[in-house]
Amino acid sequence: MAALLPFYGGGRVEAADLALALTALACLLLRSAGVWLAGGLGADHPIIAWATAIAQATLAAFVMLAIIAPSGALADVPLAARLCGLGVGVAVCLAFGRNLLPALVVGLVAMLALRALLA
Amino acid sequence: MGSVTSSRGAALFGARDAVGAAGVAMAATFLAFGAAVREAGLPPGWALVACWAIYGMPGQLVLVQAASTGFVGGIAPAVMGAIAVNARFLPMAIAITPLFGVAERKRLIPAIPFIAVTPWAAAMRAFPKIAAGARLAWFLGFGLTSWVVAGLAALAGFYVAGMLDDHARAALLFVNPLYYALLLAADLDKPAPRRAILCGAAAAGLVFILPSSMGLLAAGIIGGTAAFLWGRARGGR
Repeated sequence: MAALLPFYGGGRVEAADLALALTALACLLLRSAGVWLAGGLGADHPIIAWATAIAQATLAAFVMLAIIAPSGALADVPLAARLCGLGVGVAVCLAFGRNLLPALVVGLVAMLALRALLA
Repeated sequence: MGSVTSSRGAALFGARDAVGAAGVAMAATFLAFGAAVREAGLPPGWALVACWAIYGMPGQLVLVQAASTGFVGGIAPAVMGAIAVNARFLPMAIAITPLFGVAERKRLIPAIPFIAVTPWAAAMRAFPKIAAGARLAWFLGFGLTSWVVAGLAALAGFYVAGMLDDHARAALLFVNPLYYALLLAADLDKPAPRRAILCGAAAAGLVFILPSSMGLLAAGIIGGTAAFLWGRARGGR
């Protein structure tokens, strides 16, 4: 047990531990509540369609914000480079049978290349 | 309609999917997370538990940012913020549950911890190719593999934190939204996802006028509801 303390930090991080435990519990409850609420509903039920639309819209909003107005280290990358990476990646994805891995790599390379050019 | 019918085959298929583009995106994001944990003065075990117990990057980052300031505003605001940015788990769980084709909800308990953006979005893409009876196995194969990838990547990020400059971290952080954008783009030819994507992107601006922890949730609810009503007005097509 004592050998694990450096890995887990001992009593030094009690506030972070408590925050982590509470957040993890809440996330588990959210997931469980979703499964419980949807139980018995068919895939074509309007509530399922509504929840699916909310989940997809949330993901789209997340992507939009992460590309247009990111925080942290990504904010230092010029907007043009971020948009270039996104545009090239999506174009490759749509042009080559929706194959995600090559599109991901090419999009990332495009972002890095334009960032280097603009630096 | 599904081309994968056996549970074992579906689980392997899921594990294989999880180490493709999804694995690359997840590894990059969790590497950056591990580095951020170290900079916040937290131990590697905390990074690992956060990855596996929360398994929702925006909420994890809220806690790390709060920890880096010593929780000056208290624990409660940090926890509430982390829950709010991960509240999408609720609609995602509602949306995916009927697709498993499992009558007994008890059988879905092992899948619950894996309901997060990456497995959810990958499942929505993969499920049409998998027979209903094998979808839970696919999801568990994908979820377990991506959990392992996420945890190992976070630990690796913790230990190589000093070697990652801002440029490298920016590149890692770009991979995740790009991956999600590609997943969404692959669905643009379907009317219902297209409406949700357009409305969600349009509603993203709400983040600038609402508290940051609530903005994304509000954008999703308002954008998703608008897309749902738009679809109903068009006869559900």
